[in-house]
Amino acid sequence: MAMDELTREFLIESQEGLDRMERCLTELEERPEDAGLIGDIFRSVHTIKGTTGFLGFKRLEKLAHSGENLLGMLREGKLRADGPITTGLLQLMDGLRSILKTIEIQDSEGDGEDTVLIERLEELQAPVKAKQVCAGASPADKPAPAATVPYGSWQQQVAGIPPADTLAEALKATPVPAVQQKAVEKFPDKPAGETDGAAAKVRTPNVGTAAESTLRVDVTLLNRMMNLVGELVLTRNQVLQATAADPNLTLLSRRLDMVTADLRESVMKARMQPVSNIFSKMPRIVRDLSQSLGRKVCLQMEGQETELDKSLLEAIKDPLTHAVRNSLDHGIEPPEVRIAAGKDPEGTLRLRAVQEGSHVVIEVCDDGAGIAVEKVRQKAVERGLITADRAGQMAERELLQLVFLPGFSTAAAVTNVSGRGVGMDVVRTNVEKIGGKVEIDSHAGEGTTLRLRIPLTLAIIPALIVRSLTQSFALPQGALSELVHIPGEQAAASIEWMEGAPLYRLRGKLLPLVFLDRLLMPEGVHKACTERDNFIAVLNADGRQFGLVVDGLADPEEIVVKPLSTVLKNIGLYSGATVLGNADLALILDPGAIASRAGVSVSAQVQKGRGAEQETEAETAKNLEYLLVEVADRQAAVPLADVLRIEQLKVSRIEYIGYRPVLNFEGQLLPIEDSGGVLAAVASNPEAQIIIVVCREGSRQVGIAVSHVLDVAAGGDLFEAGTSARAGGVTLLKNRVTGVVDLGGVPPLPVDETAPASWNQYAEGVAEAVR
Amino acid sequence: MSSAVAVMSRGEQSSATLVEMCSVRLGKTLFGVPIKHILEIVGGARPQPVPLAPSYVGGLVHYRGDVLTTVSLRHLLDMPPRDGPQDILVLESAGGCFGLLVDSVGEVLTVSSADHEPNPSILDERRRGLFAGAYKLKDSLLVMLDPERLDPIRLEAMRRGAGQAV
Repeated sequence: MAMDELTREFLIESQEGLDRMERCLTELEERPEDAGLIGDIFRSVHTIKGTTGFLGFKRLEKLAHSGENLLGMLREGKLRADGPITTGLLQLMDGLRSILKTIEIQDSEGDGEDTVLIERLEELQAPVKAKQVCAGASPADKPAPAATVPYGSWQQQVAGIPPADTLAEALKATPVPAVQQKAVEKFPDKPAGETDGAAAKVRTPNVGTAAESTLRVDVTLLNRMMNLVGELVLTRNQVLQATAADPNLTLLSRRLDMVTADLRESVMKARMQPVSNIFSKMPRIVRDLSQSLGRKVCLQMEGQETELDKSLLEAIKDPLTHAVRNSLDHGIEPPEVRIAAGKDPEGTLRLRAVQEGSHVVIEVCDDGAGIAVEKVRQKAVERGLITADRAGQMAERELLQLVFLPGFSTAAAVTNVSGRGVGMDVVRTNVEKIGGKVEIDSHAGEGTTLRLRIPLTLAIIPALIVRSLTQSFALPQGALSELVHIPGEQAAASIEWMEGAPLYRLRGKLLPLVFLDRLLMPEGVHKACTERDNFIAVLNADGRQFGLVVDGLADPEEIVVKPLSTVLKNIGLYSGATVLGNADLALILDPGAIASRAGVSVSAQVQKGRGAEQETEAETAKNLEYLLVEVADRQAAVPLADVLRIEQLKVSRIEYIGYRPVLNFEGQLLPIEDSGGVLAAVASNPEAQIIIVVCREGSRQVGIAVSHVLDVAAGGDLFEAGTSARAGGVTLLKNRVTGVVDLGGVPPLPVDETAPASWNQYAEGVAEAVR
Repeated sequence: MSSAVAVMSRGEQSSATLVEMCSVRLGKTLFGVPIKHILEIVGGARPQPVPLAPSYVGGLVHYRGDVLTTVSLRHLLDMPPRDGPQDILVLESAGGCFGLLVDSVGEVLTVSSADHEPNPSILDERRRGLFAGAYKLKDSLLVMLDPERLDPIRLEAMRRGAGQAV
């Protein structure tokens, strides 16, 4: 059943509201004067009415509205909740229930009519008429007839069962039976002739209603479950190791392995919530803020169904709200300014969530004034964040990063001139706290895009296990960009020292090195790097790049993050601890903290050469880096910026849709590009290993099948002889003309046409409302 | 012994209560931790050292799905570290759970609060901060360890205080 999350939640909430209403109505029979009960019922109906208007269920809204009017009069004491009124309210409840049920089954209200019921409710509002009805109904005795009938039968009526005799009799003085008749007819999916109760029951959806199939669970319980599952995973790992030798237990332990993996996935899934939970707050914020600031803003939201761990969702709520406020406050200009700039007077703010591998990317994109880089430069110098000298050498992209510096955001004066920057450091700090990243991209006059990259779950992260000081440490993959191995005998030549500062030339640039053992044990005696293996993990943390030197590498592992006690947190270098597959404990290193501790800073790192290099890159995109791969004896280049992962796997993992190869990758389907025939060449041997380069292409991901991954190199532009026209699709890599793989050319997989486009419609509807 | 205690307690019923203590021998001293503060005793643990951690931290152990910080009793008493597996008393204090790393856990003793005396004034200041007095046993003393005083958060505060004083 395809239904968007908001509607589903609305159904659950409404049904809970109606259940509450039902309980209150029973009590109302006994205490018709109880204002608290009437208030409760009023709220239930009011909530339904309010939300339906939002979702565009007109029929439901109309009915709830008339009920609300009646309840309003009761609440104000103009009417007394006598028998007929209670009956009327129960009918209202049934009417609402039946429409909700229709929505649940067919995702629309159906085209039934509620006029009779609405008329009846209006009748009850007119005190004179009500009195007449009252008189007519009085033989039916008080408490009102409905109370004499078990509530179950009310529900049965909705399910299409002819009204119980007693009820029909009791109500015969009123025009109610006609309404009940209507209620029966309102069930469009009920085949003609099927009137007996049992059959009608079978007709109800066998999955159970949304309210029945969902349960609210305490988050602490989920956390506890997550913890226990982590524990089980470790126990399993130990069992697997212990039973590896015993053939009798292999089957059993393999089964344990599978069940544990499934369990872990389920528990993790239970913690996932759609980002619409926070996106849905934005239309209101945008509406209020655009009114108070005198802006015209159209809000577009995409990808609301994207799911994220609950705790992460909570954690990004504030940064995201902040970013949206910033966009309105400092990004999108007032209409007159926009008209003067030749733009649409109405600005566009786009919120977009999309899953990219093990991350969710949330974009806040406006078409406002953008950030005036020159002013950022000027202000940064004024505030003493950078020297004038260096400011002159910094590239646009680097300058933009300055808005994330704490000092940049404190003064209001800075804000006014720079356009953006209020609390950007807070946004970044909050996002980085949960292992995410913030990127900013802005063009003066065209707008600003803020990108929040959030890991899917907080509890489990991919990490590389490294060894140093005969201990294991976990290094979060998110910060890791590449690994370089330098054997001891090469260390003397490869690692250069500048007055005690170790450096490594990474593709011509000097990379500051941090030796993990020396950092962690400053007083200890350490082996010189020439006497041991050196592995440089090239890390990016808060815009700082450095190489962390460790003695050894183990496998990458999905680790379960365990918090540290305050005392150990205060050391400042570890973000947590984890238990590895071999039951060893490993501390999780915090790359940002290591950079700070070792003195690697953004400023120290902006060397002349690097700044200049980035400048050219930003301006002409000339020296793009490419991953050099071999595809069936030919060399090809993949833009490095688009490469997400390189996976080596068995060819048997590749599956086919028709003749199109696909890979089930982290639960998602990845179309595989195999123009070089790499797959075909090894297809006969299911055990053969192939390499898939997973790339980002726009909002989707594609895989490229390659024979070998050769190197990473900077590509140069090629110009057609005699012209200054840059040749497309090729680049000069290591002095060879190399074709660039056209990622956009990978045809998309067939789309599920039946999937509802309701979210976009909803977003557009909201945007309309904001206008 | 229990009968002796019973007799004793009957004699001083008005004020004395019985306390069960888990005994730990380290060096020449017998220490006791009130059983009601002990969540669990984990035997044969090998804590993982934490580089750059305060010296009293004995390392990390894996305990029921969580990572537990341990405090080394040996270090607190200025004794050399010991190789090989150690026992851990998992203690609960106001600041949360932590582990107390000891050589090995002994038997449970029942003592009467009537036999308790506060720390003697001639004890050095640091130890006075760690111990919560002693119980007079028949032929020896049982030095009481109070989990609240051994909590790493408090030890850290103590260390900082001492650091500032110096």
